[in-house]
Amino acid sequence: MVTIVLGWLSAIAVATGMILALLIAPRELTQGNVQRIMYVHVPSVWVAYLAFTVVFAASIVYLAKRAPGADRLAHASAEVGVVFTGITIVTGAIWGKPTWGTWWTWDARLTSVAILFVMYVGYLLVRAMIDEPERGARYAAVLGIVAALDIPLVHFSVYWWRTLHQPPSVIKPGPATMPGVILLALLLNFAAFTLLYAYFVTKRVSLLRADADAAA
Amino acid sequence: MPDHWGFVAAAYAVAAVALGGYWRRLVRLERDLEAPRLRAVGSRRRAAPRS
Repeated sequence: MVTIVLGWLSAIAVATGMILALLIAPRELTQGNVQRIMYVHVPSVWVAYLAFTVVFAASIVYLAKRAPGADRLAHASAEVGVVFTGITIVTGAIWGKPTWGTWWTWDARLTSVAILFVMYVGYLLVRAMIDEPERGARYAAVLGIVAALDIPLVHFSVYWWRTLHQPPSVIKPGPATMPGVILLALLLNFAAFTLLYAYFVTKRVSLLRADADAAA
Repeated sequence: MPDHWGFVAAAYAVAAVALGGYWRRLVRLERDLEAPRLRAVGSRRRAAPRS
């Protein structure tokens, strides 16, 4: 029941967010319409941060208590996080071509996000490769904790190194520096993508539980 | 600054395909998990004597 409600809520929120982003938000003065990609790109990276932070916390709980529920949550959250990190990378490249003149550059932000993506793909591969579920969960939990160390590196890379990527406009201390409608569209898409994350994770956790019950 | 609607459309299409693809994967997994259970219920019904 919770999953169905979350599914409908996230569908409505994403549809509203897209209407606001594509039709109502004004054309940005310096970047033009290409700035509209930010309404997908920035909420995606937010969800990726959220997803991998959940993996980190659930992995610690699993190692401390050996709770299968924590392992299932980490597994589900990692899968969803990889999807959203992939979206972040590809939409960022599509935005980069008309804005920077290149699809990709090995600057600190882009490289650290690419490493984050590869580490969590590795996390999912470890889970898939090890036949014994308990051992697979244990190894994955260790990897989930180690890989999460890259999250602050990704976020603060724009402050710590000289990068082509601009510093954060929303996920930072202090007020956001942008017009109201643009900020509203961005915040609504943050909420929509967060709901979508909750829906995907809830559904995936219930499927993992059903799979474990069927195997037992 | 040119409009670049093509880039905007491409970015939104990529996001839609990725999210839609993941959703379809979850639906397929759910169907695969339901199938043996539904088969078991069906065979139990067939095996039960009619009153």
